[in-house]
Amino acid sequence: MRISYNWLRQYIDLNNSIEDVAQTLTSLGLEVESIDHLGKKFEGFFVGEVLDSQRHPNADRLKLCKVRVSNEGDPLQIVCGAPNVAVGQKVIVGVVGTTVPHNQHDPGAKPFVLSKVSIRGVESYGMICSENELGIGDDASGIKVLESGAQIGTPLADYLGVNDIALEIGITPNRPDCLSHLGIARDLAAALNTKCISPKVKRFDNPKNSVTELAKVNVLNTADCPRYTVRIIQNVEVKESPEWMKRLLNAAGLRPINNVVDATNFVMLEYGQPLHAFDYDHLAQHTIVVKSADKGEKFTSLDGKVHELSGDELMICDGEKSVAIGGVMGGLNSEISAKTSTVLLEAAYFSPVSVRKTAKRLGISTDASFRFERGIDPNITDEASARAAHLIAELSGGTVVAGIIDHYPKKISEKNIALRADRVNAILGTSLTVQQIVKFLASIGINITPGKEKNEFICSIPTFRPDIDQEIDLVEEVARLYGYDNIENKTSGEVMFSAPEHFEQQVFSVRHWCESNGLNEVLTNSLIDTPTAKIFGSDLVTVKNPLSVELETLRPTLLATMLQTIAYNYNHGVSRLHLFEIGTVFSAAVGNIKSTYIEGYKEKNCIGICLSGESNLLSWHEKQRQVDLFDLKGLVLSLLRGIGLDNSDLIYYNAPTSLTEMTIGVEINNTYIGFLGKVKPESLKKFKIEHNVFFAEIDLDLLTKLQSARSYKGFSKFPTVTRDVSFIVKKSVSVGEIEKVMKLAGGLQVTAVTLFDLFEGPALGEGMKSVAFSLKINSIEKTLTDAEIDSMITVIVQSVTKTFEATLRSI
Amino acid sequence: MLDQKITELQSEIDRILPAISTTDALEKFRIEFLSRSGKLASLYEALKTVPGDQKPAYGQKINTLKKSVEAQFELLKESLQSSFSEQKNDIDITLPGRERPRGTRHPITQTLEHMKSIFVSMGFGIVYGPEIEDDYHNFEALNFAPNHPARDMQDTFFVKDDIVLRTHTTPVQVRVMKSRPLPLRVIMPGRVYRNEAVSARSNYFFHQVDGLYVDKNVTFADLKGTLVTFAKNFYGSDIKYRFRPSYFPFTEPSLEMDITCFLCKGNGCRICKQSGWLEVLGAGMVHPNVLRNCGHDPEKVSGYAFGMGVDRISLLRYGIDDIRIFFENDLRFLNQF
Ligand SMILES: [Zn+2]
Repeated sequence: MRISYNWLRQYIDLNNSIEDVAQTLTSLGLEVESIDHLGKKFEGFFVGEVLDSQRHPNADRLKLCKVRVSNEGDPLQIVCGAPNVAVGQKVIVGVVGTTVPHNQHDPGAKPFVLSKVSIRGVESYGMICSENELGIGDDASGIKVLESGAQIGTPLADYLGVNDIALEIGITPNRPDCLSHLGIARDLAAALNTKCISPKVKRFDNPKNSVTELAKVNVLNTADCPRYTVRIIQNVEVKESPEWMKRLLNAAGLRPINNVVDATNFVMLEYGQPLHAFDYDHLAQHTIVVKSADKGEKFTSLDGKVHELSGDELMICDGEKSVAIGGVMGGLNSEISAKTSTVLLEAAYFSPVSVRKTAKRLGISTDASFRFERGIDPNITDEASARAAHLIAELSGGTVVAGIIDHYPKKISEKNIALRADRVNAILGTSLTVQQIVKFLASIGINITPGKEKNEFICSIPTFRPDIDQEIDLVEEVARLYGYDNIENKTSGEVMFSAPEHFEQQVFSVRHWCESNGLNEVLTNSLIDTPTAKIFGSDLVTVKNPLSVELETLRPTLLATMLQTIAYNYNHGVSRLHLFEIGTVFSAAVGNIKSTYIEGYKEKNCIGICLSGESNLLSWHEKQRQVDLFDLKGLVLSLLRGIGLDNSDLIYYNAPTSLTEMTIGVEINNTYIGFLGKVKPESLKKFKIEHNVFFAEIDLDLLTKLQSARSYKGFSKFPTVTRDVSFIVKKSVSVGEIEKVMKLAGGLQVTAVTLFDLFEGPALGEGMKSVAFSLKINSIEKTLTDAEIDSMITVIVQSVTKTFEATLRSI
Repeated sequence: MLDQKITELQSEIDRILPAISTTDALEKFRIEFLSRSGKLASLYEALKTVPGDQKPAYGQKINTLKKSVEAQFELLKESLQSSFSEQKNDIDITLPGRERPRGTRHPITQTLEHMKSIFVSMGFGIVYGPEIEDDYHNFEALNFAPNHPARDMQDTFFVKDDIVLRTHTTPVQVRVMKSRPLPLRVIMPGRVYRNEAVSARSNYFFHQVDGLYVDKNVTFADLKGTLVTFAKNFYGSDIKYRFRPSYFPFTEPSLEMDITCFLCKGNGCRICKQSGWLEVLGAGMVHPNVLRNCGHDPEKVSGYAFGMGVDRISLLRYGIDDIRIFFENDLRFLNQF
């Protein structure tokens, strides 16, 4: 809501600075978002007189002028290119250092700062301006020539009478009463402990209700239109509004149109009551019928748009046709024009819900619908209508027909709400007295009478405050007027302890482990396009009203958007991508998939890890290589151990998942919690990624349900012996199987089996490989003798050679 | 007599020891002064001749000297040995060290973790809720009347007519109030969605932290105290703040909290739109309708609730001017945090 300060001061005496007023408004919940000194953009421009104008010695088209902008000192020498400059003219002069709002020669019309310049060898000390350059008109053909009586040296803002200040105020949806200058003045007056004076509205002494002879009103839908009033103004002359009106409307951000429309807009901004002026002669049978639209009916609104109506819209009709969408917008067929001589003025109270539904459905939001949706005062209608009618008459030379048609079958009266003083203090943590509370409420027009109980009141709520609905709303009013800053910041209280939940702790550990181990955390989009989503998942969840088709489907996995990130970074020259993301993935809960919270939908907290490009940093001590599956496998296992899940197990299977190949399943205590593998080439192609990507996704909801309590186990006090053993086996024999057999054969005394060498070569024979293991052996009971160790090794070697048809290479 | 001997020996050692530059010379020193028959040992011999009552004083003096000499000896020994090995291996120690790749946490996560740690220290637990939410939890239970303009404050993505992508983390308040016993003091972080065009200043999803405290006798003064404590911890103890009345359907009275712009220190700049203030959170007393909807009697218990945007605060915190950069995940960006 844009407020003119000059306008506001018509209703309230304000002696405070604009900053103080702004602060008071903000402390009332009417947040001042900006203060715009309207004359500020004219600073540095003055009225001047052209004393002399000669041809520029070096340029035919330029003139060398002497311009007086002050009664003292020498006139300014200014080079001017305008064709219409002439001696004796009163003109607008910008002096050196001034910012000119629009550069006529710049395609973007950007502002620029005047400096002392030399133009073709002659110094110029300022500029004579056109309307266009100052943004006060469209004429760019030459300089603006002022009337001859203009006083030399007058600042332009004063000359134009632009001394107003506009306040941009953020009005929350609960305060429709403040969508008007009077409403804001009323709240401000309460806070400043002063009076708000409403405008004096003329009334007729003549009791004759002549208007009923000229028009008829028939309201068929009183539910959506509880009140409808009509006044008529005759013999109007539609023309431009006077300066004072145009200035105030402009300051409040509304474009002046003509005196009739301006008067209705003025009263809307004054009282908050939207009004509509019809051309009386265009209303068939001079009748107004308020009813629901016909289904399929087409209606052309004032802005020239054609709307097809559903039948639920409330329409204002004449004897034959629709002439306005009630509370939303008028029609082209009954618009005020230069030919209008009689005005039928509508002032109504429409149901907020009905107006909102109609405005939403038709995709229209107007100053009128905005106010009706939020709820205007149903009992201000008559006064606002009278105010507007007389204003129209005054501005247009017309006459107001005596009387009003007021269709208001069921008066909306003030609500009564009980308020307990103790309750106010209990909620706010204050110790306000009964007198204080009563005074605050009375200051905003609430009438208070004693209630049944002690310290209880009955508050009668004016109809301009539809937001005050129950006791708590009155508590807020008291708090607002007392001042939030005057309420204590209470920092003592009962001690409460919180134990972070296991989920929180584990996710924290996972994230910090990843960070410490060189992974970059990313946060990616939750919505992707449907074709891509289909590559990565099934049972997708889509949004009915997406921003665009690119953002239509909730991600079924973190992989898709992580691949987007990888493609983006490869395109920006990155060659090493080790990323992780912790986030939610979504699917429809169909078949045996269980819903998480909302029936039919499953949400899962996951961590996704992607490795691609170089494995290690470029360095002098180590060759750089590309990541492979074993980088990711080792990383996932280390991560699980790192967060205390020592009993994790990787299950080798090549069951194809939709996302990866060479897939390895991750199990802990026989619970499947995720997988890792190599991203399928088709998926990579989709994102034009030319490198391998290895991806792991682990379900954090499952992971964090697992307990990772560590406990102490005794360890051997006796020395550990290391023995190496190597075999030649068929290539098809997996290392994992050999390890298992060795551990089984060695028993508990073999504490570690580590593969440390693996190679193939012609020397080993076709289809064979060499595998070398380092074994750590010790006993919890004693120091093992060489002979004991030898015999253990023999058992191990025999098992391996027998099971896998392996040959012992060395011990 | 013994006094003099001690002083003499001390100055002799002070003269010789600093001049030693080889391990051989150091070994010679050890034998001469520190061995069993060395000069320090002879002081202990001399101690035997001192009258009984003076023994402790002299003994202490000799001990002090011995300890100091031994310490200097060890230091010198170490430094001689290391310089010796260096010379021998001829290593260029300016070679780069073997660095570990550096990982990062996303700046939004870092902001969120900072917030969480402060609230946890103030006795708040942390709970989560779904991102696909029903109209009841997202709007209705939170006192958003159907067809009320308040719904316009939050443009909504619909999955079905009555299923939405949550527009705020506040529906988790309804879930916890219905499922957990009082007193209840929790924060609820998470991702939320708004059907708004993506621009430098707004994204269609962002992250929020909601907070809730419901108990007997919770007051507006408690709320203000909690918010001030949080803000001073998070933004710095020297910040200035102000509370403004505001409006949310689910709280009454409602407030918004501004702090002085930390970029311009309140003088006005582009970030704070020349106002000198930055809006950092919204809050209020839980509306009695919401308490009732969640099965609590507003005459018996009261509560406060607050909410703040993590992304916007991260923007301000790190001086970032385009919110979209958070989700581009450019490594040149991520590696700055
Ligand atoms: Zn600032």
